[in-house]
Amino acid sequence: MIEPLGARTAACVEGFGRFGRFAGESFRAMGSTLFHPRSYYLVFYQMHVIGVKSVPVVMATGAFVGMILAIQAYGQLAAMGLEERLGVLINISVVKELGPVLAAVMLAGRVGGALTAELGTMNVTEQIAAVQSFGVSPIQYLVAPRVLACLLLTPFLIIYADLLGILGGFFVSVKQLGINAGAYWDYSARGVELWDVSTGILKGFFFGGAIAVISCYKGFNCREGARGVGEACTEAFVGCFISILALNYMFAVILSAIYKIFWPLQPLI
Amino acid sequence: MVQKDIKPEDGILVVRNLTKRYGEKVVLDSISMAIEESKTTVIIGPSGCGKTVFLKHLIVLERPNEGEVYYRGKRIDNLSERELVPIRRKFGFCFQMGALFDSLTVYENIIFPLRQHYKITDWKAVDELVKQKLALVGMDGYQHYFPANLSGGQRKRIAIARAIVLNPEIILYDEPTTGLDPITADVINELILKLQRELKVTSVVVTHDMKSVYKIANRIVMLYKGRIIADGDAKHIQTHPNEIVQQFIQGKVGNAELEALRLSGTKFPTQFQPEDFQNR
Repeated sequence: MIEPLGARTAACVEGFGRFGRFAGESFRAMGSTLFHPRSYYLVFYQMHVIGVKSVPVVMATGAFVGMILAIQAYGQLAAMGLEERLGVLINISVVKELGPVLAAVMLAGRVGGALTAELGTMNVTEQIAAVQSFGVSPIQYLVAPRVLACLLLTPFLIIYADLLGILGGFFVSVKQLGINAGAYWDYSARGVELWDVSTGILKGFFFGGAIAVISCYKGFNCREGARGVGEACTEAFVGCFISILALNYMFAVILSAIYKIFWPLQPLI
Repeated sequence: MVQKDIKPEDGILVVRNLTKRYGEKVVLDSISMAIEESKTTVIIGPSGCGKTVFLKHLIVLERPNEGEVYYRGKRIDNLSERELVPIRRKFGFCFQMGALFDSLTVYENIIFPLRQHYKITDWKAVDELVKQKLALVGMDGYQHYFPANLSGGQRKRIAIARAIVLNPEIILYDEPTTGLDPITADVINELILKLQRELKVTSVVVTHDMKSVYKIANRIVMLYKGRIIADGDAKHIQTHPNEIVQQFIQGKVGNAELEALRLSGTKFPTQFQPEDFQNR
């Protein structure tokens, strides 16, 4: 019993090590891409595929999150006569947690799956080996532009998700549930700070980087055949999803500690 | 003749005691060989004997478990990916299924190595170069096609055009004529010969196609179960005493396999009989 357990643990540690090395190489290659304008065309193409084409789904996700929050929270707040404060609840939830996390999950499904499937197919059809055979680093050519595009554009996609979440919540609260628009915005403005919005957007860089690196790693290491590519896509999505949640928890702990340290100094700034 | 004591300077590419294992399975078992410059060396052997794995070791796409690989006397199997870049630029690798980048057009596939290593300013010269390389493989006019719109043979020819775009010193071909019609296969054979005669390119070809072997090979090496069992020119191979070599080059089934077929009779015990099953 101990032997298989030990073997599995060793394999797990080895897997983490390989992933760490891949991530390190990817970020180094990304840094090098930044200083080589000759490779920008690859980044711009990936920005179009990863960023521009994801705008509609991310906007739809954000809008529905805002609208659902309004419907669900209205009853409880109205029972206490606090329905005008619905804006604070919706907007703080959207910009701080739900907008960034759900936009990232949507990206993990749309972009992560596509990246793994594309690179996985390239791997099994020897296209990655072909890149290597020409003396070109596959990580530099294939991974760096994807990581860079994902890392740079996820925060912007989160802004879209936040914006539509705010508008969706406003639409349902004011137009459908009849809450006074002035009071709705007034309470929202008092409750939501710049800190909340900016931390939500800041998470985007990390979520984007994690999605791209995990998906590319799974694509590069996928097993042969249609089943291998399918399994790699599933593993990539699960890996991205867990990482997004784990990173989000980490951010919640770190950012709240930072906030507590600097909040008393706010009146001095 | 199986060479044993080979020095790194004995050829443009030298492998010494090359061993490759995947788990418990030994794919290459202590292979030593020197590949001569400006000659065509053909590696033959039954499927799964490690020919492709051997070819990939020559360009360090695979790393050996034991043994060394040398290029012009310099050990290369222990170099980092970055250190391998200038060495790989001297190679052209033609993959078994072509391995064309399916998101790029034929034109973009061919200029890929060029674009990665050089700053292109004169696009007209590049267009001319692509046209010339495609004409060499009889594919001029297909510049704007995507690989998905080409047949297997056409993809293979484009892959060769891409492999020779940087005028490599060494071209490694993985089954270049497999799956091609006899005329296209002969075009590929002629192309390999032309590159060797005119540009003095060193070629290492992995193939099953004995017609192609006799046409292009200066030297034939036969691998069997991860080991070299025959090495020499066409005449040496044709008169080789080893039964496995003779069976392979004549395309004959072995006595053991024939006996197994005879024993099974005219009807296989496990053969599907429709009357044994009910219709759905």
